[in-house]
Amino acid sequence: MATRVLIADDSEFMRNLLREILEGEFDIVGEAENGVEAVNMYEEHGPDLVMMDIVMPIRDGIEATTEILEDNPDATVIMCTSVGQEEKMKAAIKAGAEGYITKPFQKPNVLDAIGSAV
Amino acid sequence: MRVDVRALGACNRLAEQGAKQAAGALSDLTGTDLAVEVTGASVASGEDLAESFAGRESIGVSVGLRGGLDGEAVLAFDAVNADALLSLLPGGGSMERSAVTEVGNIALGGFLDGWANYLGKAIDMTPPRYFEADGAAVLPDGALAGDGVFLFESRLDATTTDLDFSIYMLPDSGPFRDLIVGKTAPAATAGGEANGGTTSTAVPYESLSTFSSLAKEGSANAADNIAMMTGLETSVDVSRLRFVPLADVPAEVGTEPHAGTVFELQGEPSGYLAILFEESSAAAVADAMLPMDPNEPLGDMAENALCELGNVMTSGFIDGWANVLGTTITHSPPEFVHDIGASTISPLVAKLSERQDYGFVIDTAIRTEGIQARCDVYALPDERELARALDRLSES
Repeated sequence: MATRVLIADDSEFMRNLLREILEGEFDIVGEAENGVEAVNMYEEHGPDLVMMDIVMPIRDGIEATTEILEDNPDATVIMCTSVGQEEKMKAAIKAGAEGYITKPFQKPNVLDAIGSAV
Repeated sequence: MRVDVRALGACNRLAEQGAKQAAGALSDLTGTDLAVEVTGASVASGEDLAESFAGRESIGVSVGLRGGLDGEAVLAFDAVNADALLSLLPGGGSMERSAVTEVGNIALGGFLDGWANYLGKAIDMTPPRYFEADGAAVLPDGALAGDGVFLFESRLDATTTDLDFSIYMLPDSGPFRDLIVGKTAPAATAGGEANGGTTSTAVPYESLSTFSSLAKEGSANAADNIAMMTGLETSVDVSRLRFVPLADVPAEVGTEPHAGTVFELQGEPSGYLAILFEESSAAAVADAMLPMDPNEPLGDMAENALCELGNVMTSGFIDGWANVLGTTITHSPPEFVHDIGASTISPLVAKLSERQDYGFVIDTAIRTEGIQARCDVYALPDERELARALDRLSES
C-alpha cells in the first residue's frame, strides 16, 4: 500500500509542485493551506507522513507540528520550507520533525527526505 | 545613536551573502543563472526615493520580519517581465500570483538565512504578500517616511535573459540598531592611528542624513552649472548616499562606453569624484557647449569642454560640503577619461581600496532637457575622514 501523504503549504503553486512530484508513488490524502487545516486534516485522514511548510498564516508549521505530535506521537512530519535558518531548523526538530528540505527542491531531494523519514 | 561604519560593512556582507543565497534559490527555481550585481545600504529621504522610482511599475512580494531582525523585506521585479518569469516556472503560467508569491517567499527566505545564522537567532517571516505597485510604493513600509533610513538593496541580474530582481530590506530600529551602533570612542582626531590616536569609524546617525542632504545640494549646484555652461535645462533625477563594497562600483557603471572627468579630492574628506556621461551624452553636451561643430564627436575640443564643465561641476559639488562641514576641500585638475564605464572608475576604486573595503558612494543622475543626455556623479570619500567631519558636524 502506498504511503499516505498530507501536504500543508499556503502556496497553491508549491502544493501543486509537491503533488506532481509525489503522485504515482504516494497517495495524497489532502492539501492544507495553513497550520489549523493541517491539524484538522491530520485528525481526519491519519496520514503516514506530513509535508509541512513552516511559514503559513493562522498557525505556522512548527506550531502545527507540535500540536499534531502531542496527540499523535508516532506522526511523521517533514518540514518543507524556504527558510534554512539554523535556529528555525532546531525549532522544527525540537517540535518533532523527522527532517526538512529547503525550497526550491528537486524530486530526488524530496524522495530522499521521505525515504529517510518513513 | 552612533553608526559604526565597519559594523555597517559587516551588515552589508550579510546582505550580500543573503542576496547570493537568494540568487541561488531563484536560479534553481527558474533554471536561469542569476548573479548578484550590487548590494548596498542607502540613506535617502522619502522624497528622493520617490523620485528615483518614478515611472516604474513593479510586481513585488513582501514579508514582515520579527525576532532576530524586525522590519520588512521585498522581492520586486519589473511588471513587464512577469510573463517571462512565469514561463520559467514549472506549471507557473497557470498560477500567476501563487507562483510569483512562492518565488518571493523562497528568495526572501534565502536572503534572511545568513542574517539569522549570523545573529544566532531565528527571524520569523510572515506569510508572503503579493502586490503590484507604481513607483516607490514597491519599497517596504516606512522607506518613504522621514529624512533618511537604512534601506538595504540588492540587485540580481539574470545572465541570459532580461529577468532582473531587486531585494529591499528595511530593518526597524531595535535589533538592527544593536548591529550597527558604534561601540567605539567618538571619531578620532586628525592623524588617527598613524599618530598614535584612536581611529574610529563611528558616526552619528543624524549626521548621515545631513550629509545625504548635502549631497543633494551639491547635485543641484552641479546641475545648475551644467545649465549655465551649456544653455540646457537640467534636473537632478537621483541623489542617494549609499554604503557599498567598493569592488561593486565599477560593475554599477557598466560596460557601455563613457566619457567624462575624474578628480582627486584633498582636505577632509579626501577621496575621488567622477563625473561620467554615456558616450552619446558626452558628445551631445560638448556639442552644446562649443560655438562651432567639433571636427570629431569626442575629439580635443570636446575633451577641453568636458574638462572645463567637470571643473565647474566639481567645485559646485564640494563647496557645499566644505561650507557645512567647516573644512576646506580642494580638487585636482580634471583628468579626462573615455573608456568603457567600469574602466573609467576602476583606478579610483583601486586607490581608495588601499584604505578601505567599503565606501559611501554619493550617486547623482543629472538629466538635461532638450537633448538626451544623462550624467552620473560618483563621489567616493575616505570613510575615516568623512566620519571625523560628520562627528564634528554633530557636535557643532
